Amino acid sequence: MPTSKALLTGLFMLAALVAPATAKDSTIPDPWSEKTIGAHVDPEKYSGTLSKDKLQSLTTIGEALFKARFTTIDGVGRPMATQAIIPTKRKRPPQQSFQRLAGMDSNACSSCHNDPIIGGAGDFVTNVFVSEGFTNADFDSTDPQFSNERNTNHLMGAGLIELLAREMSADLQDQRRAALEAARASGKPQVAQLNSKGVDFGKIIAGPDGIVDLSAIDGVDTDLVIRPFSQKGVIGSLRQFTVNALNHHHGMQAEERFGARWTGENDFDADGIEGEMTRGDISALVAWQATLKPPIQLAPENAQWRQLALEGSELLDETGCTQCHRRHLPLNSLSFVDPGPLDSAGTLRQGDVSQTATYDLALMAWSAALPRDESGAVLVPLFGDLKRHTIADQQIAHLGNELLGQRFVDRDVFMTGELWGIASTAPFGHRGDLSTLDEVIRVHGGDARQSRDRYMELDDAQRVALIAYLKTLVIEP
Amino acid sequence: MNKTSAFCITTALLMSGWALMAHAADEARQTAVQMDVPVMAEQAKAAGLEHSYTGPWEYFVGGGAASLDCNGDRFPDLMLAGGTSKVQLFVNESKPAGPLKFTPQKLDISDTELESVTGLYPIDLNNDGFKDVVMLRLGRNIILKGGPDCSFSNANREFAFDGGRAWTTAFAATFERDQPFPTLAFGNYVDRSAPGSPWGTCHDNVLLRAQGTDSPHYSEADILTPGFCTLSMLFTDWNRSGTPALRMTNDRQYYRDGEEQMWRVDPGKPPRLFRRSDGWKRVNIWGMGIAEGDIDADGFPEYALTSMGDTKLQTLDSEAEEGRPVYRDIAYERHATAHRPYIGSDLKPSTGWHSEFADFNNDGLLDLYIAKGNVERMPDFAAFDPDNLLLGQHDGTFVEVGDRAGIDLDRRGRGAAIADFNMDGNLDLVVVNREAPASVFRNLGGKADWGARPMGNWLQIELQQDGENINAVGATILVKSGNATRLRKIQTGGGHASGHAGFVHVGTGVAERAQIRVQWPDGEWSPPYRVFANNFVIIRRGDANARYWYP
Repeated sequence: MPTSKALLTGLFMLAALVAPATAKDSTIPDPWSEKTIGAHVDPEKYSGTLSKDKLQSLTTIGEALFKARFTTIDGVGRPMATQAIIPTKRKRPPQQSFQRLAGMDSNACSSCHNDPIIGGAGDFVTNVFVSEGFTNADFDSTDPQFSNERNTNHLMGAGLIELLAREMSADLQDQRRAALEAARASGKPQVAQLNSKGVDFGKIIAGPDGIVDLSAIDGVDTDLVIRPFSQKGVIGSLRQFTVNALNHHHGMQAEERFGARWTGENDFDADGIEGEMTRGDISALVAWQATLKPPIQLAPENAQWRQLALEGSELLDETGCTQCHRRHLPLNSLSFVDPGPLDSAGTLRQGDVSQTATYDLALMAWSAALPRDESGAVLVPLFGDLKRHTIADQQIAHLGNELLGQRFVDRDVFMTGELWGIASTAPFGHRGDLSTLDEVIRVHGGDARQSRDRYMELDDAQRVALIAYLKTLVIEP
Repeated sequence: MNKTSAFCITTALLMSGWALMAHAADEARQTAVQMDVPVMAEQAKAAGLEHSYTGPWEYFVGGGAASLDCNGDRFPDLMLAGGTSKVQLFVNESKPAGPLKFTPQKLDISDTELESVTGLYPIDLNNDGFKDVVMLRLGRNIILKGGPDCSFSNANREFAFDGGRAWTTAFAATFERDQPFPTLAFGNYVDRSAPGSPWGTCHDNVLLRAQGTDSPHYSEADILTPGFCTLSMLFTDWNRSGTPALRMTNDRQYYRDGEEQMWRVDPGKPPRLFRRSDGWKRVNIWGMGIAEGDIDADGFPEYALTSMGDTKLQTLDSEAEEGRPVYRDIAYERHATAHRPYIGSDLKPSTGWHSEFADFNNDGLLDLYIAKGNVERMPDFAAFDPDNLLLGQHDGTFVEVGDRAGIDLDRRGRGAAIADFNMDGNLDLVVVNREAPASVFRNLGGKADWGARPMGNWLQIELQQDGENINAVGATILVKSGNATRLRKIQTGGGHASGHAGFVHVGTGVAERAQIRVQWPDGEWSPPYRVFANNFVIIRRGDANARYWYP
């Protein structure tokens, strides 16, 4: 009679024989492992134009990475590196690896971007404290002289936003090129009005000697690159954002910026882990974010709400809100090429790889619902203009409540916040310290002052209608 | 076996052991390069640049190159010294980021004057907006006055410039305080007419301070004696005093009791040599070229001095008494000795000429280029002696990548020009070779499996000021990104018989933005200018904002 141990062994062997021969996904760690990253993503497997299945496979990995609560085995922590976007050494390791202010301040991307779904925004509790990380990198005070406190933005539809920014940057740079050619050909200075997708970015004066006077540009950086991400509008691509944030919030350092090519070290943050985030890992995260379904406009079942929203929509135009919160911007192509065309060294560039990857957003089920104009361009309903504006003045100063400029952008200048999904992303304002839409509208100053004043002049019912309309702009759970 | 033999054998064994270890260490370092190695593709023929530096003994030295924009398109043009061959001017017709393309343009100067030229330095002497070129010659030096469309004329008479009769091999210029025109320094080599020549017969050097108000007149000379066969010189603000001194590197081959020299050149006073009592230490080398570069951006420059086997990399000794020019050689600890060929089997010492700090891979760290080549057929020195490209590393050391970059040609290098000739952000390299075609290396980017890839970010900066010294010779440029500051000087002089005027290139690594501050030659600081990387930046004194130039 066999012993129980022998019987058990036999059962295990039998189970092994009858188990389906499924290939293990090496990018997913074993369930009992304290690692959250399995094998790093092989970028060669995901190059060229990705099929629907391939794209799905990559975004699945990206989502897992976005949700992963990174551990020290993965490389979480940056004992000898600051949060700075340029690799910067600390003088000594911090006392605590996690620190709510200077960071690292979270385990996972989804720890903050989670409302109402993963990839969404965050409550006040998810605010980040943005500092350059060069001097006073280890600040331990919420005093605004050390950092700008910002609420977490949502990422829904981020791929469309980046594509718009790429096309707009190309437009502006084409206009600069044309002005220079005309100036050189005519021997006379040429004034070029900068405009893309109906948004005005001021003007430049191109001289016949090739020198460009940039003093009259408006709402865009001097290199005429639209940087659509962050409340300030200073981050150019999802890829750049991802590399920045992984270091800042988690101490997970991407090789493409913190690796030996640029720092001379394979373990720049000195946490004992090399190659924490590879090019393929970043690509997976980018792919997932780029393919996130954009927010939608709800058609309320409640008839009264429907009616109010209809009126409110008109009021949004009448008050002038849509001069900046433009209902949509036309997008010519849904091909999202990664790496993108505008990043500079430290974020993977197209020339850094033998073959780029293209994610056709038209493969996503949600793309069919996007409206198009007569030329076939997708009308991206972002309610924004991807332009920076002064948003505070002497009387209405709340949204200029920061003390520090950021990356050459003054303290009271911000990118127009896109309103799509606004109803799902309370609290409001850059700091997330305004609990109602009414409150945040009332604190629009600076370039938005006129519209805000018109809103103030509306009667109560009209204001309710306008907000009822904004309440239809939701992130679909 | 006697004691002497035993000692010799032991010494030889130790030396060979040391050499093997050093070689192994070199190899280990060579395999460890992780930053971008620039792909330097030699394209002289395709670029239309055919030129050689030729001649007998007198032209064993020299072989200069001047890079300057002579037609106002901001693309650097080239003028190359020819020795017994004529100086040639090559107008840059490269397209932005395209293949390098040069077209020879005839100079309206007599053939005799274009011959016997050893070196060339560009500078706007008379503040007319056109770069002039100082031609160093065996015999009378000549100032070529620049005009529109790369026209040049002999301006010796107009500038009351005698030119001398010496064998001139070095030059430097500075705008002294409150002076409208630059002060010129000429370094001379062997006085061939002196009894006993060439040994111990070094010519004196000369300092010329400009007279005149409308136009410079160089009729009065200060003699800098003793001269020790100077092969390169530069004005350098070694102590951050705002008053540059004149540093010279001298060839020990021909001087007696000589040494390296530095002259105090205080405005309105006769030049005075720094002496032992000032802290100056004796250094004897076969000094061929000087480069200044502030590796750590502390305001106190380092100097790379080329020689025969004993390249020096000097830094101001931090332990020395403040204000004293006491220098420490850090070539060994920084792996920058470049003392023998880094490839091939020839272990004899190598012979260095032009030296220049520049950031070839745009990683934000200064690299060091050294032109190499046997004097002629000196049997005790390496015959195959490839040029060096020493990449700066984050730990402060350098690593040799000349072979991997592709500049390891079997040519005897002399002078060189390092500039971005096709305005793509990458520094290209033109080398004047002795009795061999000049080399034109196009920097294609970082080496990659598929060819080349883009390297780090960069800026190129042009300074402008009204009135005098319009190109701001002597200015300091600080480029700050994060906690890193990169420092550059606008200089006329140094290298080996070769000078550059035009954009100043700065690699910024992964920084996509930078703040630029300028200390103008009179000491005034500019406000900070905020710029985005990968742009050509024009900073005009007094302007609130920088402007960009597009090729």
